Amino acid sequence: MRPLTEEETKTMFEKLSKYIGENIKLLVDRPDGTYCFRLHQDRVYYMSEKILKLATNFSRDKLISVGTCFGKFTKTKKFRLHITALDFLAPYAKFKVWVKPGAEQSFLYGNHVLKSGLGRITENTMQYQGVVVYSMADVPLGFGVAAKSTQECRRVDPMSIVVFHQADVGEFIRSEDTLT
Amino acid sequence: MKRRFVCVGGDVDSVLCFQDWVVSKFGRVLPVLQLRCQKGSKARTVKYDPSKYCHNIRRLDRTDPDETLSVTQLTWQVEGGDDDISKRRRGEFPPYEPIKPKKSRTDPGDSLNAFSRSRSERAQNADRNTEVHQLTNGSDLPTNRRAAQKEDRWFLDSDVDSDEEVRSLAAAQQSSHDALQQEAEDDDNLEVVGLDYLVKSGPNEDEEDYDSAGTDELFDSRRNPPAPPQEKPSSPTAKQFSDKKRQMKRKTTPGDVSSSKNSSSLQRENPAGVRPAMKHSSDSHSDEDDEEEEGNSSDSSSDFDFPALFSANSNHLRISLADLQRLAEGKVPSILGSGLKPESGFPVRHARKEAITPDEILASILGEDSSSDDKEHKKKKKKAEGVTSASLQPSEETGLETSQTDGCLRRKREHEQDEAAGSERQKHGETSEPLNDPQTNSSSGSEEDEEEEEKMISVEDQPSSSSSSEEEEQEAGAAPHPAPAAGSKTSSSEEEEEEEAEEEVAPPRVALAAKEEEELQRKANMRRLAALQQRQKEAEEHQKLIQGALANLEAPHPATGKRIVFGSDDEEEKQEVVSAVKESKKPLFQDSQSEDEATADGAAAANQNAPHKAERLKPSGPQLFADSEDDEEGGEEEDGSRFDIRPEFEGPAGQKLMELQSRFGTDERFRMDSRFLEDEEEEEETEVQKSLMEDEEALEEEKKKNLSILQRVLGTGQQASGKTAGKAKQFRDVSALHYDPSKEEHAAFETKTEETKKESKAARRKKREEAQKLPEVSKEIYFQVSGDLKAVFGQTNDGSAEGEEGANWDKVEEEEGGGEEEQLPPSLLSADPSSKSEESSGFRFSFFGDDSVAGSGETAEYKAEKMKAPKVSWHQDPRFHDSSSEEEEVEEDEEDGQEEKKEEQSSVEAKNTKEETPSQPDFFFFSSDDHRLKEGPKLFCRTSQLAEQREQWEESTSTLRQEYRKKHRDARRKLNISRKT
Repeated sequence: MRPLTEEETKTMFEKLSKYIGENIKLLVDRPDGTYCFRLHQDRVYYMSEKILKLATNFSRDKLISVGTCFGKFTKTKKFRLHITALDFLAPYAKFKVWVKPGAEQSFLYGNHVLKSGLGRITENTMQYQGVVVYSMADVPLGFGVAAKSTQECRRVDPMSIVVFHQADVGEFIRSEDTLT
Repeated sequence: MKRRFVCVGGDVDSVLCFQDWVVSKFGRVLPVLQLRCQKGSKARTVKYDPSKYCHNIRRLDRTDPDETLSVTQLTWQVEGGDDDISKRRRGEFPPYEPIKPKKSRTDPGDSLNAFSRSRSERAQNADRNTEVHQLTNGSDLPTNRRAAQKEDRWFLDSDVDSDEEVRSLAAAQQSSHDALQQEAEDDDNLEVVGLDYLVKSGPNEDEEDYDSAGTDELFDSRRNPPAPPQEKPSSPTAKQFSDKKRQMKRKTTPGDVSSSKNSSSLQRENPAGVRPAMKHSSDSHSDEDDEEEEGNSSDSSSDFDFPALFSANSNHLRISLADLQRLAEGKVPSILGSGLKPESGFPVRHARKEAITPDEILASILGEDSSSDDKEHKKKKKKAEGVTSASLQPSEETGLETSQTDGCLRRKREHEQDEAAGSERQKHGETSEPLNDPQTNSSSGSEEDEEEEEKMISVEDQPSSSSSSEEEEQEAGAAPHPAPAAGSKTSSSEEEEEEEAEEEVAPPRVALAAKEEEELQRKANMRRLAALQQRQKEAEEHQKLIQGALANLEAPHPATGKRIVFGSDDEEEKQEVVSAVKESKKPLFQDSQSEDEATADGAAAANQNAPHKAERLKPSGPQLFADSEDDEEGGEEEDGSRFDIRPEFEGPAGQKLMELQSRFGTDERFRMDSRFLEDEEEEEETEVQKSLMEDEEALEEEKKKNLSILQRVLGTGQQASGKTAGKAKQFRDVSALHYDPSKEEHAAFETKTEETKKESKAARRKKREEAQKLPEVSKEIYFQVSGDLKAVFGQTNDGSAEGEEGANWDKVEEEEGGGEEEQLPPSLLSADPSSKSEESSGFRFSFFGDDSVAGSGETAEYKAEKMKAPKVSWHQDPRFHDSSSEEEEVEEDEEDGQEEKKEEQSSVEAKNTKEETPSQPDFFFFSSDDHRLKEGPKLFCRTSQLAEQREQWEESTSTLRQEYRKKHRDARRKLNISRKT
């Protein structure tokens, strides 16, 4: 476990900023304690300093997970956000998408969101903007990337994809082996 | 000349035979072909002269009026009748009927599926219907809908399938239409919300909808259908159920060799291959049978060769029908061989054959029903016992198969022996024994009994004894069948139960069976519980053993005694050591635990006892030195206090001391006393604190670093406030607190959009409005400028011939200037002064009643009235556009800032973006004798009096009007004429 290098921090913040913008500041700088990011086996974990200190007592090969896993760095050093970060993204999301009940299940199975399943969308959403997907009851389901801007969404036909699926809470069941 | 041309290449059929060639028009040489033409059976060679056919072009007579046809006739018709298909082929489609959307909407998933299906179908029919082409993504939805509906109807109508299918299809498509329509509606109703959107959490109805059927329910639903049929009373299966079938079943049923706790449970778990109708009572029957077998089996079990039986297990799995037949015919193959399997396919025959023997006859005479009943009951009881014991045994033995096969083998042996014994055993009682001889485990035994019983039912004439013996044979043969089928007790139990079920059908048995069943059930249950308890005990014992073994691990090696023990009394020492070790062990543990609380050093704990007893440094191994004895003598009393932690070893410093001590060993010379304690406990504490502080600082640094990186990433100025004081938004741990939009407090979590954009818009609007307003030209400036210019003005005026004209011009227009002021568009007001000023070499004119200017005669001349500035670009005189003037007017940008905007609107204004600041008497681009100054005003000013111009104009207007009218009329006439013509 080691702290992130500058490059890695930058990459990660860029990715996070797509979803929550400048609210990353609130993650970095918290009034209720010092929280930090640590890298362990290519995965980035977000934890408080207390946990961090406890975690240093374990050897690397024995340590599986610390705090909350935000995502991981791929072999090509790209940062991929995991669903476990949803709790921290959802309240700060800048652009949100609400999904109809019918399409909710489809999204939870890992499919993209079609126009027909789109219930509501934040205005001024740009194309390829990171969005957080909610159900109509305002329950965060996951996050994705907007395939169309808000204006385009109005015009496009109902079978086209409007939100690319990135992660959903169904992954907790589907890929529980690989989640940490 | 005749030449032969040979065709190279091509198909065989296309080889052409040339014999002649002809010269046709234009000197072309054409071969005369002789083609093979096959008309049915005839094969002719046709001569084909191309020249006769190449030029068979008739001239079309276009001038023939009779041939002009209307467009509608330029087509062909498809004949076919009046059905829908042919109608549509002809192009006659049914009238369009809009489908009314249903309010009840089917499952969107289904509707989508239906939609996709219908789409695919439409795609298939694309060839026929051109309207399908409209069904593309991106086309308007209403047209899509209509087209889809049309096509749907077409599709529906043309469907030759049954009405039901049509209806289902229609329903599906309608639902898809509904989906389409609703989707269309949704498109219009797509909600686009701002960033501050707050979802009003409605009633949580959806949660209930999402509850999926519990898997338990699903399983139950699946279990239930098969379960009840299983429990139904067996249909009176024909007694002709040949055992062949059973054999097949046994062979084919999967081998469940799992220990059978309960035959009934096994039965239920079996796949559908199991015949339904197994009652619980049937189980009891099987139990009874087993019990019977059990009881009898114990008698004759001594003779069996168990190892042989065990070893012969594999062979039993390879029983073949041939062996069975052999057995049935009376051959007795070796037990270890292919096995005894008298073919049970001939039970009836056998039974009937055997009826000839005197014993069988006796049996029949003695009373079939009663005896058989009794036997059956006995068998049932014993079978029950057998089952329970069988269930018990698996717990004891792991090899059920072996036991089963053992039972089979035993049975076989028994049967063989019985047969060998001959008639001696063929008494009633004894026959029952061999029946029941087979063992405990063998449900196959129960099988045999059941089969016996069955046969007894089916063939009432069979004497029980002899028949039973043969049935035994058969059953013995049948018994190993389950073994080949993987020794499945399940199969055998199935068959047992089937047989029992069949038995139950017999009315007389039922009544008696019920009561006995209950009793047997109770007994079986008892036995089962006993077996369970036994298992538990065994498990506990096993665990204890393990614990003991683990506990004894530390019991070291005194037992092994690798070390050589020197001493007077080896035994004593050993004992001492052992005891000492034991003693030390426990206190070691105790002390270690206590020490662990203080420190985390287990090793130190182990060595804690070292100072106490030098010889007890290492808990393992006998002591080399004889000191142990000395210490031992007085040790008992001190044992309790021996192993307490010495005071000097307490605390972190003491911990260090202990470590040190351990390094030095237990030599008394090197014992660490309290003197050796480090006096740096406080320092240690401070060090610890320091390290903590450092950590925190490191984290702080890291935090700052992260923030800096964040700044770079986001490109905005982020305030790196250390403790986030004074922030509008407070961060709260999400995991601890769940955001609830309905709560007012939680509104703090949401981001708030900046309203700067709106402000800017407003600001812009204001600016625009202001810009649109008439800029109030500050007269002061004019005053100043004009004041400055007066002198200059005057100078130039004297020298210019324009002065007089200008005076005239000014005077004349003074009067009318006020009247015309209003006429001028406001936007041009600003332009006028500027334009004029430019023309007059930077002079500023105040046209708004500048008294001071007017006062001076010189300036009054130039107090020009407003002229209608040219509104359109081509009104302007290009000569007036002086680019040089624009360069100077930088100083007055601010003044004209607002004016500029309006000036830009008109090209005139564009020209005169700035006003000159001719505060200087020196003229930059104008000389005093500039011809522009002369000619400019000429063009600018009126050449004649206004009144005269007016009169002239009025005169001309009338003439002009007349002319225009004439022209209009002429034009109209011409138009009309042309139209008519």
